[in-house]
Amino acid sequence: MSSQKKEITITIDGKEIKTQWGKTILEVARENGIYIPTMCYLTKVEPIASCRMCVVNVEGVDGMILSCQEKAVDGAVINTNTADIWRERQKIMELYDVNHPLECGVCDKSGECELQNKTLEFEVDTQEFTAKDQHRPTQNWGFISYDPSLCIMCERCVRVCNEIVGDEALQISVGGYKSTIVNVKQDDDCMECGECMAVCPVGALVSTDFKYSSNAWELSPIPASCSHCSSHCQLYYEVKHESIDNPQEKIYRVTNEFEYSSLCGAGRFAFDFENRVNAKDKEAFNKAVDALKKAETIRFASVITNEEALLLQKISQISGAKLVCDDAYAYSQFIKAYSQTSGKRFYGSDLKSLSKSQMSIVLGTRLYDDAPMVKYHLATSVKREKAQVAYLHPIEDKRLQNLVTKFVKYEPGSEEGVVALLANILIDKSKLDEDAKKWLDNLDIGYISAESNVSEEELDEIKAMMWKKKSFTLIAGEDLYKHPKAKNIAKILGLIDRYSNFELLIIPPASNTMGVSLICDLSDKASGYTVGYNSVGDFVMSSLGDGDIDMPALNQQEGTFTTIDKRVVPTNPALGYNGYELLDIAREAFGLNYEYIIDLTSQLPEEKGFKNIAFDNLPDEFGIDGENKRGYLIDNSEVSSKLLPDDTDDIESFDGTIVYLCNDRGNFNPFTNKSKMFENRGELRGSKQFATAAKISDGDIVKFKVADIEFERVFSIDTSLKGTIALNPIYDIGLSSFAISSYRFNKAKIEKVGRSNE
Amino acid sequence: MSMEEFKDRNVGVQNYRMLDLEPNPETGMDKFKQVVKRSVKLELFTGLKVTFREMFNALFRGEMHTTKYPFEKLPISPRYRAIHEMKRLLESGHYRCIGCGLCEKICIANCIRMDTRYDENQRKEVSEYTINFGRCIFCGYCAEVCPELAIVHGGRYETASEQRASYSTFEDMLTPLDQLAQQSEYPGFGAVSADADEKIKKTPLAY
Repeated sequence: MSSQKKEITITIDGKEIKTQWGKTILEVARENGIYIPTMCYLTKVEPIASCRMCVVNVEGVDGMILSCQEKAVDGAVINTNTADIWRERQKIMELYDVNHPLECGVCDKSGECELQNKTLEFEVDTQEFTAKDQHRPTQNWGFISYDPSLCIMCERCVRVCNEIVGDEALQISVGGYKSTIVNVKQDDDCMECGECMAVCPVGALVSTDFKYSSNAWELSPIPASCSHCSSHCQLYYEVKHESIDNPQEKIYRVTNEFEYSSLCGAGRFAFDFENRVNAKDKEAFNKAVDALKKAETIRFASVITNEEALLLQKISQISGAKLVCDDAYAYSQFIKAYSQTSGKRFYGSDLKSLSKSQMSIVLGTRLYDDAPMVKYHLATSVKREKAQVAYLHPIEDKRLQNLVTKFVKYEPGSEEGVVALLANILIDKSKLDEDAKKWLDNLDIGYISAESNVSEEELDEIKAMMWKKKSFTLIAGEDLYKHPKAKNIAKILGLIDRYSNFELLIIPPASNTMGVSLICDLSDKASGYTVGYNSVGDFVMSSLGDGDIDMPALNQQEGTFTTIDKRVVPTNPALGYNGYELLDIAREAFGLNYEYIIDLTSQLPEEKGFKNIAFDNLPDEFGIDGENKRGYLIDNSEVSSKLLPDDTDDIESFDGTIVYLCNDRGNFNPFTNKSKMFENRGELRGSKQFATAAKISDGDIVKFKVADIEFERVFSIDTSLKGTIALNPIYDIGLSSFAISSYRFNKAKIEKVGRSNE
Repeated sequence: MSMEEFKDRNVGVQNYRMLDLEPNPETGMDKFKQVVKRSVKLELFTGLKVTFREMFNALFRGEMHTTKYPFEKLPISPRYRAIHEMKRLLESGHYRCIGCGLCEKICIANCIRMDTRYDENQRKEVSEYTINFGRCIFCGYCAEVCPELAIVHGGRYETASEQRASYSTFEDMLTPLDQLAQQSEYPGFGAVSADADEKIKKTPLAY
């Protein structure tokens, strides 16, 4: 390995460059500011090598070399721009232009089109090549439209769909000039993330919603972080006045630095969740000030910026009100218990190391719906590193079939046992100290295996998957944090972290749960007079616009988020807000005299790992090689405590009809559900078996109570599901979805109350 | 090169004729004599005769020389840049504008705005189009940049109005459907040249 990192010297266009072995010529050239044109190249995926624009001459080598996939070797003399190469590139552009419709005037891509740019760059003004044009009808794939006649077959979309997203929905229908891209999962499994659309260099893949509504050059991009999940991906909200008659700004679409980072469907399409307020409501403001002054509990959702979380913390220090945040409380307790046995303050893995991991175990999360970004990086690890993936969950997920090596189904409620079983096979027993060994030996493997329904053969298979692999990741998800025995689960996970090769990734369940759990001192139960900030309470301050006073949504606020990577990233407001915000109320009620909320950025608690950096000094960029340089990383220091998990006896699992609280397709929360493309009335989805067990049929309106919330929903049969667990979304129940403190699997009595008319 | 030929402004054929005029009177006596002579010779009535003749011709014989603006207007050059016209397709009567937004982009007075949308026929439709004529400086860039010859300058130069909105609207600028047959191409700024047909190269079709 070390010999591969040796220093080499190459010459590009007369410039002598010292670099390390292992980089491609294109990478070296770009790092040194030498321009090599490309059409199909994308930094974040492996070289596609379909466009051949990046050809260079290497002295002593016949013919032209593809710089995107050829590694630089010591002493190479490379010319990137000779007359021959220029002519070659011009002819390539000419070929791309054959029969390309001359409809730039109406094309959405016009102005930011790579074909347009390169055609002009290589001065293509005549056409020597011909081909008989084909009939290529346009296709509508839902959020995305595909126009094959504009497609230049660069294969970027196919590559990201396979390598980044892992859906394998897009394929090439090979047929020479008749080749097109086909969406083989158009009807069901394509998660409509829009990743293909983002990387398309021409107007072949465009957003159905955005189509023809504005020209690219009219929009002003606002750099921000996606606020929907804990990945907080980089994005740009692109804004313009709404129409001729309405000068108010509106978000038209979301773009991102697609060369380096990715977005899921929620980030890309659920952007219009802003809370529009026409004027300041003085009356409501006064009530809010009074309410906050007398509040005994402030209950809030972790869909909040770090700064506002710190503001709430300061308010609670002044007024003595308890802070309650159900998601963050469960998560912080979980992490706390985890560090007691692992000796680390946080889990050690992040998304990037997950994408390089060679073997992963997913536990306690319906990954596809809960954390698309984690799924993306898992897919990348499968595609690039040929990673083995074990997926442990009570519900098998058909959509992950192509990524997962081994599905292991366990009984809902038996997570503690499953973690103990994993500990038994993953922990390197030679490293254990006496006490830990004793704990491990005390496990009644037979009993646990029987209760959790995970057989020893299945565990052996997982163990076999680790063979010859070097890096390992254990992904723990949302199901575990609110489990009645969450603490012990966390402790066992900590033990696995300490005594095995596995790095852990404990997914924060909601947007800024990580930040809130670090910044605020949280209590577990609300009591007395409660003010809800994007949560339920006696006085509700809501960004959804349904509370006692309106608050700005997260695309109308500036501040920072803490991501799953333990990175603090900045976000900027895309749209203005005319009403009052939390800081106004805090200033009036408690004299917290900050001019702007971002004055608090540099005050984030340093003892928790935050840094004293002002908001305006936070970087928000990527390196030329795709290195994430956004914001800063929180220090992950060691903590010293070596507790042991409690004994695992008494595993409770439940049977009968079970309802699993699970939002689908990246519709994370009421905010994503507020956007017009995601707006959806949730349905209870279950298998045929579930229908039989609950004595209901497809299209029935059913009533049930889980997590203290009464639901009345249409039931629909989903043939991809098996067993007696039904999926129940909570994105459409408003703010109460942020105040659920129960375990995600719930026994429920399903009662039929009517038939749906549809 | 000498500048002589450029400085010689006496170009073309002139038909100047010197009038047979008396020299101007110099002394006071000469002036007095001229006044007396003109009065006595009744030269005043010669002039009045011409005036009355023209008046009679104008009133009773219909030989008026004045243009009765605003009831009458003189023809203006086709290259004149006044209020815009939006042309229609002769075949379908649909407006030519495809909503590409180039006029909006190039407008240096920033007075053009358009709203576009995806319509039922899967085409880009211009749902609203406005030009703020209070700001327009009639530079002609929009007409020049238009790839469809859809927006051109017309000859309507009277833009005084009490309200900005009534300067002109999209509907006013569009060729009325019943006058579609009379719609003429714009010969001014940005129009296709007379020999455009000869300049066109065919795409080679080898198959």
